[in-house]
Amino acid sequence: MTDLLSRLPAIILDGVVLGLQFGLLAAGLTLVYGLGGVLNLAYGQMAVISAMAILFAVNAGVPILAAVVVGLITGGLLGLIFDQTLLRPIYRRQGEARVLLSLLLTLGVAFMVDGYLNWNDPTAGLTIQIGGGPIDVFGVPMRRGSIVGSAIVLAVFGLLFVFFRSTVLGRAVRSVIEDEEGARLVGIDPSHMLRIILVLSGVLAAVVAVTQSMIRPVTVTAGFSITVLALIVTVVGGLGSVSGAFLAGLILGVINTFATSEIGTFLSLIILLVAAAVTILIRPSGLLGVRE
Amino acid sequence: MLDVRQLAAGYQGNDVVHDITFHVDQGEAVMIIGSNGAGKTTLFRAMCGLSEPSSGTVVFDGADVTGEPAQRIVRRGFGFVPAERHLFPRMTVQENLALGAYPERPGAETMEVVFDLFPRLAERRKQHAGTMSGGEQQMLAVGRALMSQPRLLVLDEPTTGLAPKLAHEAYEALAALRDRGLTLLVAEQQVPLAMAFSERGYVLENGVISLEGTSEELAADPRVRSAYLGLS
Amino acid sequence: MTERFAEATGTSAVGGTEEHAAQALSALFVPIIAIGAVLALLPLWLGDSRVLMSVSVLGLAFAGYTVGFNLIFGSTGQLFLCVGALAGLGGYGAAIFADTAGLPVIVAILAATVVSSITGGLLSWIAVRRSLGVIFTGIVTLIFALAFHNLVLGLGDLTGGESGFLIESGRDTFLRSDAPAFYLMLALVLVYLVVHGLLRRSHVGWAFRALRDDEVAAELAGVDVARYRVLAALIGGAMLGMTGAVYGLTQGRVSPSTYDFAEVDVVVVVMLAFGGIGSLFGPILGAVTFTVINELLVDLGHLRLVPYGALIIVLFLWIPRGVIPTVGDLLRRRRSPPG
Repeated sequence: MTDLLSRLPAIILDGVVLGLQFGLLAAGLTLVYGLGGVLNLAYGQMAVISAMAILFAVNAGVPILAAVVVGLITGGLLGLIFDQTLLRPIYRRQGEARVLLSLLLTLGVAFMVDGYLNWNDPTAGLTIQIGGGPIDVFGVPMRRGSIVGSAIVLAVFGLLFVFFRSTVLGRAVRSVIEDEEGARLVGIDPSHMLRIILVLSGVLAAVVAVTQSMIRPVTVTAGFSITVLALIVTVVGGLGSVSGAFLAGLILGVINTFATSEIGTFLSLIILLVAAAVTILIRPSGLLGVRE
Repeated sequence: MLDVRQLAAGYQGNDVVHDITFHVDQGEAVMIIGSNGAGKTTLFRAMCGLSEPSSGTVVFDGADVTGEPAQRIVRRGFGFVPAERHLFPRMTVQENLALGAYPERPGAETMEVVFDLFPRLAERRKQHAGTMSGGEQQMLAVGRALMSQPRLLVLDEPTTGLAPKLAHEAYEALAALRDRGLTLLVAEQQVPLAMAFSERGYVLENGVISLEGTSEELAADPRVRSAYLGLS
Repeated sequence: MTERFAEATGTSAVGGTEEHAAQALSALFVPIIAIGAVLALLPLWLGDSRVLMSVSVLGLAFAGYTVGFNLIFGSTGQLFLCVGALAGLGGYGAAIFADTAGLPVIVAILAATVVSSITGGLLSWIAVRRSLGVIFTGIVTLIFALAFHNLVLGLGDLTGGESGFLIESGRDTFLRSDAPAFYLMLALVLVYLVVHGLLRRSHVGWAFRALRDDEVAAELAGVDVARYRVLAALIGGAMLGMTGAVYGLTQGRVSPSTYDFAEVDVVVVVMLAFGGIGSLFGPILGAVTFTVINELLVDLGHLRLVPYGALIIVLFLWIPRGVIPTVGDLLRRRRSPPG
């Protein structure tokens, strides 16, 4: 028992680090669903492609910071491409038909990307080294990469918060999530807002790729597991809610770290899956969700 | 200001309203009356761009806006308050009103004007729209539409779900707007209220306009009296 | 053409004249027998190649999976993304019942089938009780599929974990030889088609069609939507489980990748979408087509996902109803032009 207690601080801190990653990952997915009623199952692949873009830039001799910018731009571009291509037919349907079609089409894209990348170089992975020794946090030695990565995620969440609460554009986006027709009645174009959110979600995917690679390598094989994790956290947090994603991310991150350390990897993933299933069955709107 | 000619609209190929022709001139207060199911909402939604008309034209201030999506029509100085209001439930009164001015930042004076018109909203600035009563929500919906300083305000059944006293108050507010020179078009089931408020009107029955005239003419018409005023 | 005839006489076969009933049944059995006869010739042609025979057996397994999925999704609109998991319950169940528990092979297969069936029914019942729409049913069943996968990996002592479960039972029987295994799987698939076909022509099939077209109207008409959904899931689950069990036993080995989402579910969805969701013979067309395509592309390895992905996109954008119904529509329009 005391053994566990002494491990607890490390578990919780690791859980928070993981949870922040989960949260930001889910934020991108949940925004797109909340705004456009579209489920993007190629989300993990977007993160992976951004990671590969950074890798490519670094290998080509580009300094790391510029390479990261390349990655972010790649993410944003992917979102834009998605909006300009697949979304056209998807947006012609409504409600359930729209979600279903988006699910299927993005799954197709995910397969194409995954198939190519894994065939091309199955071992490719992005790692961003943050130099320097471990930093002591509440008595627990944390790797610098984890600290920097987490700090970046927190900063991005802060920016998102300010954006949605205090800017005209951010409030306009929220209004479309609240009531699409109401938004149109005040002159807001929902498809324009969706385009903005898609680009944003692409950039967020890239940010996750960057921060995650500071903690552990982001490999080409990770695509689908990233998407599944994002989906689980999104469901628990509530579709359409960024704060829900943040909260659910932290909770699930800590639970996952705890379970992995005490029980085992496979079973801890099952716990996450069960959490998502239970949420759907008992409280489908999730912790803080808007759309069901 | 608003010229609608031979408009037809409906759902999935079946027209609910046919051959609708009417107009609203600057400064007028015009009503379209009819019972439930006559097609008022279908007509207004098609006119204001929430749905597409199947045929006909809508001309606003000389510009052909037929089939333009709502988000563009609204930016031309055309305000629409639908029957379901479509407020933003988890945003405050203030945020709802602020968005009414989109894409501009909300002018402080405009918001004060709205609060003067609807003092109850001023008391509830920070309240979430979803928690307000029907009457307050109606006020908020009208207030939001006013934030963009429209030249024409169109309302679909503004008294939906309102108790008689509140319905009267609503029309008092609309009358105040009319007196300030705002052009108004109202679709209404509660005919006496609409008649007291407007100068001219049209009667919509089974998807077509069956009668038109000034409020006095309509009030004197025996068909209107028996069908909508409960008089013989 | 069979479909048209079936649709035309399907409902009238219920309580119709004996002649009508006989016509309707022959409309069902004749194509099934024909398909069976054609496929039965396959071993004569491929018999020498162990590889090709094994591919064919796998192809038949997929046909079985797809018929089961068709019954669940095509007939009653329940998006079950756990086809592989339900088949895996059958496969691992049979392996564990036969080897670990020592039950006779046939009993093991039946027991595993029952487990799959009940699981399918349970999932359906939960979805009905919680009024889960198509998307959430899909997500919940996907969660189940992933949980099952991880459970198999996690309970290594019971299941053999990552490396799989080598099955001793049935080792020296006919199950492990190419041709008998093929004919066994073929027989299963044909039986499934008969079951599905008979269901469609019965009042059960009428209820299925009613609730798939308009759930609310069906409820009002007195159709107990819950009961028919669960029934479809029970039968479909049984088909999936039995196929998984028999397939596992013929291969002598089951592993997590045998019943993986990416290996099974995705392929089954594509097969059914191609062949025709809800059509009786769609699964056969889909299974045959994609088994052949997969074999032709086998050298591409992981790159195969690219054409599959592209095909999913093309299919769901332009031929969402699948080949058989779309062709049926075209033929119908040729014979009686709209007017």
